[in-house]
Amino acid sequence: MTALGFAWRSLVRQPARAALGILGVAAVGALLFDMLMLSRGLIVSMQDLLDRGGWDVRVSAGELPGSGLRVAHALETAEAISTLPSVQAALVIRSASVEIDRASGVPLRASFQGVATRSTNPAGSRLRAPWTILRGRDAEASDEIVIDQRIASEFKLEPGGVLTIRASCVGDLEALPATQLRVVGVAEFPFQTTESTTGATLDALKMACGGNVGHDADLILVTSKGDADGTAAAIRAQHPDVRAATNNEVVGRLQQTGFTYFRQISSVLTTVTVSFAVLLITVLLTVSVNQRLGEIAALRALGFSRLRVVKDVLSESALIVGIGGLLSLPLGLLLASGLDRILKGMPGIPVALHFFVFETAALGVHVALLVATAVIAALYPMRIVSRLPIAATLRDEVIG
Amino acid sequence: MNSASGLSPSVSGRRPVTGDSSARSIIVDARDVCRVFPMPAGPVTAVRDVTLQIRSGDHIAVRGPSGCGKSTLLHMLGCVETQTSGTLLFDGQDVSRLSDARRSLLRLRQIGFVFQRFFLLPMLTARENVELPMSEAGLAKDVRQQRVKELLEYVGLAARADHRPSQLSGGEMQRVAIARALANGPRLLLADEPTGELDEATGAQIATLLDRVNQGGTALVIVTHDAALADRAGRLLTMRDGRIESERVR
Repeated sequence: MTALGFAWRSLVRQPARAALGILGVAAVGALLFDMLMLSRGLIVSMQDLLDRGGWDVRVSAGELPGSGLRVAHALETAEAISTLPSVQAALVIRSASVEIDRASGVPLRASFQGVATRSTNPAGSRLRAPWTILRGRDAEASDEIVIDQRIASEFKLEPGGVLTIRASCVGDLEALPATQLRVVGVAEFPFQTTESTTGATLDALKMACGGNVGHDADLILVTSKGDADGTAAAIRAQHPDVRAATNNEVVGRLQQTGFTYFRQISSVLTTVTVSFAVLLITVLLTVSVNQRLGEIAALRALGFSRLRVVKDVLSESALIVGIGGLLSLPLGLLLASGLDRILKGMPGIPVALHFFVFETAALGVHVALLVATAVIAALYPMRIVSRLPIAATLRDEVIG
Repeated sequence: MNSASGLSPSVSGRRPVTGDSSARSIIVDARDVCRVFPMPAGPVTAVRDVTLQIRSGDHIAVRGPSGCGKSTLLHMLGCVETQTSGTLLFDGQDVSRLSDARRSLLRLRQIGFVFQRFFLLPMLTARENVELPMSEAGLAKDVRQQRVKELLEYVGLAARADHRPSQLSGGEMQRVAIARALANGPRLLLADEPTGELDEATGAQIATLLDRVNQGGTALVIVTHDAALADRAGRLLTMRDGRIESERVR
């Protein structure tokens, strides 16, 4: 009988204890798996969101896009950027607040993004806004608008319908003029938060705001011809007053600021959960070994080597951790999905952003940590059996 | 239980031993062995200056009051305990110079143990308990299965092969333990109070079984308080205060 087979028999000998150990490892392993997914989840998810639209350089007035500061003379700046040899296209994004009139009841507050593309080549001119059309088409004329799925459902609107909005481009205090726009498409907005979102051309936004927009914009998105780093450097050289960052640099800055807390929290919780797993298995194995000292001493007397009895204990630990670890994966994914939903309920979090993201690397680290847990947890009970004095134990068992 | 006069060579791995003792090979040669245990109140000498030779086919019983060193001597003869002084040769090898792994291998292949409390593994069947030392010794599966069958038939438990220890009586458990001890065809079988947990009738059955093992050629050393069991031995050693006080040869 192999050490693994022997360990399996030892486990099923006391099913309640084995189940306790396996369930404990499954619970702790699920938490561990979640912490590993959390540690890089935001980074991976944010990178995915940034890369999704195909825009690889972001130009903003503040350190990070979305800081509230606006790029002055945005259209001229985008025009100039688009003339750089490494640039394929530049897209100006200007946001406004809107209230969407209902037939009855309180108007729905939403955000309104107006975009304008600048490019010196035909391929770049074809690049559209960073949202994805789900139904219908993108807005092209100044009386057209695309809406998100939520507005479409709430207002029972589909392409062809009409939306009455009151847009504010400079502040909430201004009197909002009513504008009717034709819905031409339903879209998915990558950075959409819990607030509803609409999109149109910059001209449409200007019209909705009664021309009261100014020349600034929230962000300029740039698509390079392949060299994002070189393009960002060229933009910085051309416009020292703005911040140009590649998607990787944006993620890097986020990692150094807000995301670092999640990483630290996940590191601490990972350490705690692994420690719990080690303690749990060590206690279970130690109790199990202490109950079987006589049998182990007898096996040693019958010629079982020290290595063999140590392997038996290690195999038992590996079985508990292995089975518990397998159970921890679906449990962890289920738990992550629930926690993700809760965390995404925080205001200002883009709907498409995920806190917990599955990565093969996270699974690899999970497995490696569980293997280490199985070995470390078995160290003390392995020490007990390897140092077991055979004769004295047999004597004690008879006297006991 | 089988009533054959001796352990068959196919089961014991040995041939019945006949002739005068000097012609039989020496398995254990202990000279002036002592075993001292360090204790908080001062060292305790469990075995002192014991000189003993065990030859193939010997049937030795060791008696004496509790704490006189019988079990310690048995453990030294079985290479689970090493002497503090003196020399103990097993098959000509100085046991104290062997590594733990080599001593384990020696026990696995040359020595069988029968314990007062049987120490069968409760999660394994009788068949699996007997097979375990063979598996550890690396015997092929078909060889193991054949040998387990022979051994269980030999101890009269072929019909209980698939029973777990909890489903067996004390006498049956001890018979399985004897079969397990014989698994790798040991030259020396050591039994520590093998009838200590059994009633008189069952003890007698075990004694008969052990006699048969010995008649098959396996040297047998039994530590016992049971006078009837001790009287069956060819050599009766009486110990007191760690020494062999007397030896009676039948």
